[in-house]
Amino acid sequence: MFAPIAVISEWGNGINFLLAFLIGIGFGFAVERGGMGNARKLAMQFYFRDMSVFKIMFTAIITAMFGIILLSSIGWLNVDVMLINPTYLWAGLAGGLIMGFGFILSGY
Amino acid sequence: MGTSKSKKRELKAMDNNKYASPYIVGVFLGLVLLSSFIISGRGLGASGAFMSAVVAVEKAVSQDHVDNNAYLAHYGGGEKNPFKKWLVFEILGVLAGGLISGAFAGRIKVETNRGPRITNKQRWIFAAAGGFLFGFGARLARGCASGNALTGGASLALGSWVVMMMMFVGAYSLAYFVRKLWI
Repeated sequence: MFAPIAVISEWGNGINFLLAFLIGIGFGFAVERGGMGNARKLAMQFYFRDMSVFKIMFTAIITAMFGIILLSSIGWLNVDVMLINPTYLWAGLAGGLIMGFGFILSGY
Repeated sequence: MGTSKSKKRELKAMDNNKYASPYIVGVFLGLVLLSSFIISGRGLGASGAFMSAVVAVEKAVSQDHVDNNAYLAHYGGGEKNPFKKWLVFEILGVLAGGLISGAFAGRIKVETNRGPRITNKQRWIFAAAGGFLFGFGARLARGCASGNALTGGASLALGSWVVMMMMFVGAYSLAYFVRKLWI
């Protein structure tokens, strides 16, 4: 069990923030490269004219999900110390719906 | 006739080459997300970084208010600097990464993405209104499309799947009525 590396090794703020910046670069590069910087392209998924956002999102979710399950099943990744979103059912239902309205109006 | 057809084909090819294959991008993004979990023990996010900016303003106006609200205090209670957060540095990276990708693809320009039937001004008004709703919803649901749909989705957080599905319900149900904005 060696991961999450920064949590188990108790790394300080400096190195953590640097890693956050590098991870962010990967995130920003990926979404721009996939066309998620274009509001109209994003909105087109809601008219079934361009489903690339769907494809990117669910491919990414499945890839990361498989990785997490695989690494935790061979004992390398401790999911207990990972930050996993808690459930707030009613707030989530309302917030998700409002975000959906905002998404189709603003395009992001 | 022949030239116009080949020109059309050329234009179409250009359009297709504009962005990378969504499946390749998806796998790459999934690996970035997985690395984030392996390295930092947490996933990607976006709206939380804006929360830091909001709390910084609130702190400047009334420190008492921030201290007395547990949610705000988490960001900037007492001596805490709201900008010394993992997500703030991650978002700075997102800006840099997007800029690098845009530079590689020659896409850096000022533009207003909208449908052909509205003006730029109308688009900006709806962008602000939609952004207002999205920001409000993101705080209510404790996360946006990155923090809930992507990260919560991959870590199989039940509440995040609820938020993700409700986002689709909201957007698809309103899409028909605001189609003039986009198509």
